[in-house]
Amino acid sequence: MDYILQGLKEGILLLFKLDKELYRIIFLSVAVSSTATALSSFLAIPIGVYLGIKRFRLKGLFSRILYTFMSIPSVVVGLLVAISLSRRGPLGSLQLLYTPTAMIIAQTILVFPLALGLVYNLSKNRGKEIEKIGLTLGARRFDVIILIVRELKIYLFINVITVFSRAISEVGAVMIVGGNIKGHTRVITTSIAMFNSMGSYSRAIALGLVLLLISFLINSIIYSYNKED
Amino acid sequence: MDIEIKNLKKYFGTKMILDIEELKFKKNIITGIIGPNGAGKSTLINILAGLDKEYQGSITYNKEKFNDSMYLDITLVFQKPYLLNRKVYEDVAYPLKIRKLKKSVVKEKTNEILKELGIYHLRDQKSTQLSGGEAQKVSLARAVIIEPELILLDEPTSSIDEDSISTLERVLKEYNKEYNTTIIIITHDIEQAYRLCDEIIFLKNGRVEDKDGLF
Repeated sequence: MDYILQGLKEGILLLFKLDKELYRIIFLSVAVSSTATALSSFLAIPIGVYLGIKRFRLKGLFSRILYTFMSIPSVVVGLLVAISLSRRGPLGSLQLLYTPTAMIIAQTILVFPLALGLVYNLSKNRGKEIEKIGLTLGARRFDVIILIVRELKIYLFINVITVFSRAISEVGAVMIVGGNIKGHTRVITTSIAMFNSMGSYSRAIALGLVLLLISFLINSIIYSYNKED
Repeated sequence: MDIEIKNLKKYFGTKMILDIEELKFKKNIITGIIGPNGAGKSTLINILAGLDKEYQGSITYNKEKFNDSMYLDITLVFQKPYLLNRKVYEDVAYPLKIRKLKKSVVKEKTNEILKELGIYHLRDQKSTQLSGGEAQKVSLARAVIIEPELILLDEPTSSIDEDSISTLERVLKEYNKEYNTTIIIITHDIEQAYRLCDEIIFLKNGRVEDKDGLF
């Protein structure tokens, strides 16, 4: 029990000491996950809104497949991206493996189905009514999509935050495609796993606290928006 | 706008909702649709608004079949007004903005209609802060601001106060006279139908039971 308390104490101290390596890891984690969230949301929001209100054959089957992909294991995505980016892979010439770009690609692919699924579901449930209003006021298809995005912006923002929290907390994909290289591709989750295996509990706990803090901030944002709505 | 319906059939699953052999809505007049719950009134008005296209039979508007450009000339006021999540002024101005009208024209027309419906003082309020009657006036203002050829109303006065009802009726009559707007209104209030409408259609079990005979 003592060494856990000791680790916790040292962890907090490390954070207050503004440990360079620690903050580099935190910054890279936030940068990679924010970029992946922005890219996936940028694509998922218009597509999800459109598919949510659109009637098409096999929509039920599409929904089931999409919902399945929402919980795709991160190691599977990591493996597929790593194979594609490896020297002998189809995108090997880009030499992106073990770079932050590879991590962004992997996380974007990982969270895209989640982003799409959340927007699609929201649009399917709430978008129809807004579409009706838009059409009766003379809105064209494009105007209708813009209108739905504007009307549901708070919910969409909450979705984006949820996607970010999935991205920042995953470990499998970034570990495989990033390689957890010190000062280059080391992020919070891969560092926690590494420090734990090294027995360096204080650093692992410090980063764990940061993850918890990020999670708390995310939930606070979601809570305040829910309350406002 | 003349509307002609021929052999209209609408099913929900195996249940028949509408079965109208022939029905004409004359242009430039106010037609009321009355009937008991489940008669198919709202289904009919949704079909006429182009929101429900899954039916059998034919409907023509000025001898033309429905096409997407008709959304610009047809509007529908719902029983429960859905207001956009913005200020009243922005909500009412929305149909003009998507038609890419000049800012000055948008401002002038929006202020004019807000005054006409007695809701100018609400222009800076959020739609969520309005009463039922106020919300329905905003909804009507947003519908008539585009001067549509056809206004459809689905029980617009079922849950609003007397004052708001008389304002809505006055505005509808004015638009009908001033702009020759064709108006079709569903109402449960037979008195309102007599006050407002030039013709009344009685719908029951998806069929037209009586037309004009109510006068």
